[in-house]
Amino acid sequence: MSQLLDVRNLSVRFPVGRKGAGWGQVSYLTAVDDISFTVRKGETLAIVGESGSGKTTAALAIAQLVGGETSGRVMLDGQDIMPANRDQLRAMRRRVQVIFQDPYSSLNPRKRAEEIVREPLDNLTDKPAAEKQEIVDRLFEAVGLRPEQKRLFPHQFSGGQRQRIGIARALSTQPDVIICDEPVSALDVAVQAQILNLLRRLQSEFGLTYVFISHDLGVVQHMCDSVAVMYMGKIVEHTDRLSLFNNPLHPYTTALLSAVPSVDPTLRDQSRRILIPGDPPDPLNLPAGCRFVSRCPVAQTRCRELAPELTGNGTDHRTACHLVDANLVSPMQSVREAGL
Amino acid sequence: MEPLLKVENLRIELKTRAGVAPVIDDLSFELGHGESISFVGESGCGKSMTALAIMGLLPEGIGRVASGRILFDGEDLTVVSDRRLRDIRGNEISMIFQEPMTSLNPVYTVGEQIAEVLRAHQNLGQKAAWAMATELLDAVRIPNPGRRINDYPFQMSGGQRQRVMIAIALACKPKILIADEPTTALDVTVQAQIFDLLRDLRRQTGTSIIMITHDMGAVAEMAERMIVMYAGRKAEEGPVADIIAHARHPYTRGLISCVPHIVANLTDAREELTEIPGIVPGLGEFGQDRCLFSARCPQVTDKCRKARPETAIFGGRQASACWHAEEV
Amino acid sequence: MSDETFHTPVEKARSPLAEAWEMFRQNHLAMVGLGLLILIVLGAIFGPILYPTDPYEMVWAPFSPPGAEGFLLGTDYLGRDILAQLLNGARVTLIIGLAAAFVTVVIGITIGAMAGFYGGAVEEFLMRFTEFFQVLPTLLFSMVIVSLFGASLPMITFAIGVVSWTAVARITRAEFLRIREMDYVMASRASGAPGLKLMFTVILPNSLPPIIVQSALMVGSAILFEAGLSFLGLTDPNVVSWGQIIGSNRQYILEAGYTVTIPGLAIFITVLAISLVGDGLNDALNPKLRKR
Repeated sequence: MSQLLDVRNLSVRFPVGRKGAGWGQVSYLTAVDDISFTVRKGETLAIVGESGSGKTTAALAIAQLVGGETSGRVMLDGQDIMPANRDQLRAMRRRVQVIFQDPYSSLNPRKRAEEIVREPLDNLTDKPAAEKQEIVDRLFEAVGLRPEQKRLFPHQFSGGQRQRIGIARALSTQPDVIICDEPVSALDVAVQAQILNLLRRLQSEFGLTYVFISHDLGVVQHMCDSVAVMYMGKIVEHTDRLSLFNNPLHPYTTALLSAVPSVDPTLRDQSRRILIPGDPPDPLNLPAGCRFVSRCPVAQTRCRELAPELTGNGTDHRTACHLVDANLVSPMQSVREAGL
Repeated sequence: MEPLLKVENLRIELKTRAGVAPVIDDLSFELGHGESISFVGESGCGKSMTALAIMGLLPEGIGRVASGRILFDGEDLTVVSDRRLRDIRGNEISMIFQEPMTSLNPVYTVGEQIAEVLRAHQNLGQKAAWAMATELLDAVRIPNPGRRINDYPFQMSGGQRQRVMIAIALACKPKILIADEPTTALDVTVQAQIFDLLRDLRRQTGTSIIMITHDMGAVAEMAERMIVMYAGRKAEEGPVADIIAHARHPYTRGLISCVPHIVANLTDAREELTEIPGIVPGLGEFGQDRCLFSARCPQVTDKCRKARPETAIFGGRQASACWHAEEV
Repeated sequence: MSDETFHTPVEKARSPLAEAWEMFRQNHLAMVGLGLLILIVLGAIFGPILYPTDPYEMVWAPFSPPGAEGFLLGTDYLGRDILAQLLNGARVTLIIGLAAAFVTVVIGITIGAMAGFYGGAVEEFLMRFTEFFQVLPTLLFSMVIVSLFGASLPMITFAIGVVSWTAVARITRAEFLRIREMDYVMASRASGAPGLKLMFTVILPNSLPPIIVQSALMVGSAILFEAGLSFLGLTDPNVVSWGQIIGSNRQYILEAGYTVTIPGLAIFITVLAISLVGDGLNDALNPKLRKR
């Protein structure tokens, strides 16, 4: 299948004022640092990472929704969609839509549900009113809301219902790519399943392509077809679903997976906790070599000196680690065995 | 041996605009010395209210203990004086909260905040309290405690702040530590560190832990027994391993299977997630004489809608408040 | 059936405004304030018609105390009927209050919104500009304006507006800064809303509650301000307002206290009513007190 979305060398940096810096001196916080990834049509790419990894910034940068300085190329169907003017921006917005994390703050409290769902149609298309109404009606049904709820205001809905409104809004212009920014993390556990099932059903029904941002590896495992793991603004591992979960190669990915508490007792015994010590480094003062080096249990001298490139060594399983080679053996293997 | 904490037929009423609602409805449970139990359920099911009731911190003028007893070491906390309660709180029962960002006072250093607790409850002098605070920071594995003790909360990461909260909670060697969603605001690698810390501290000090969470995985990692709460009532209670292997309440079952869990050997197959339809009922429906879960239950029958389920016991230690527990 | 909407009963669409009115209605003090305010406004509109005595005409001996000779509130130092003055003055006073608040709000919202929306150098300049006005001594500044350009009603209104818009500007800017960061603003951008549309149809309506409250209180403070200027004699002597009644009778405060006390009370009650309503609005519109 073809690559629908092709992101190349995407970087986002924000100017920050620092104490002690003189007038006119601006330092930058690089939230996303030269990342590249691809998504196939009809599939889901999950971008995983902890807070501060830059996953949300990266995804919102694709939709031109971050305030910082963005560079790099975003290709949709072979066409550069980094807009140069207002018309191109409108065209891009029609094709790339976003589902936001917090359904409580992402709906305008002063608008009725149907107005919220219709907003992209009003702003981005020239369809006649009757057709827009028809689309809104269809979307309400597709996301499982009743027609009589169209006139209600956001505060009259529960969290799950609000997220359904957000999903309907994102679907209204029939976009090619939908960016799902932690779409269930603000919801109660039992409601999460309802929304995740809905997202997958809509995907197969409409052939949607998702960029799915999440910190929850269980959710990612369920939703994705391929995964990019981010740490401190860099992608450290990028591969398909099975390879990542069955054979995680980067030490950070391994640690992340083993940190997830599990109800499965065999899994708990099997994958002894690999505790990685400490906290992520200061993003304004990153180490020279690999960014994970201060917490990595298997770090070597060269890791401190040279930043590793994201490479597959000839395979599709791309990792940014000096200690991974074409044999695709995790450098954490020894640690794991020692732990048992 | 008498259990450390024994809650008997506790009923807590909350005043709402529409009237009085039983947010906790006939709850009984026991907590042994050094035991670790977990309360599980969606938000609005009464988990946190239970914790607040034990701490004597029910919202004043709005919530009250209507009936039942909370026996701590044989002493009924629902009738003791405010002074005694203050004494117990902090000294014998302490609590950590979800938000490590807002639980610390931003204008004092973490050392001052820990030492303050020690001086107030342990009657330690300035110097001794300070030395003890350094020791505690070391115990919660904050690197370089001698220097970090002079840090202000904003100079620490979320995980470190939660460690400081744990240090404060443990300062007086409490018999019970209540942790209300202690890691929800933290990253998973940090959560793993905190869980590891809590487990070790429990082993070293023998403190009993009550953990409140919505994450079955966390329960499986941290607790020996769990209590599943639904709409102010106990839905199911029993050993964690038994319940996860065979839940006897449809709600528990839903809670376990509605979350996509990491599995050991992943295959291409992907089942639809089991859904629990609907949402937790509003306070107005609490206390009705029927199974409050019946509106969302896949196995509902007429009986469920007519009468509150009796508790069925399995193997002497697993209890389920479901008319059809046998068949689940 | 995997539909969580299944169990919720059909609700009536209730706009945030309707909810706010519901909250407001439950606030007894605010309702008292609203009642008083309605009475005062009705008095201002219909009073002069129902009580057609000319407020500028000498109708009886000066300094007749209230109740004497059928003059309910007595007469002033020129023998003019105080009740007639009060009823006619209510119109002027309320209009000055409303108009000055309007000027305040227009200037304040424009400057605050531009500062909050555009940020950067625009914000920097506008906020310095606002601060410049903030540090001017308000009474002195308005006295200068009025004495330079004449004590006509429009000029007095303008003077009051010019010295008091800064509070509205600061509130508007703060609200804009807060609302600008809300996810629904980003969602509107993702839905293709252009900049000005965002500013006027998304951010402004959501910023309004505290601005409305502030404007309501502004009416009260404008009335007080006008009274202050009148007391100092900086007013149009040919137009009767409550402040002007006090100002013109102030020399006789010891001999005939009621000539000053009665309009003073009227001002006090009006400003109190406005404050109560403002307070009620604050509670009703403040989303923090409401469940989400």
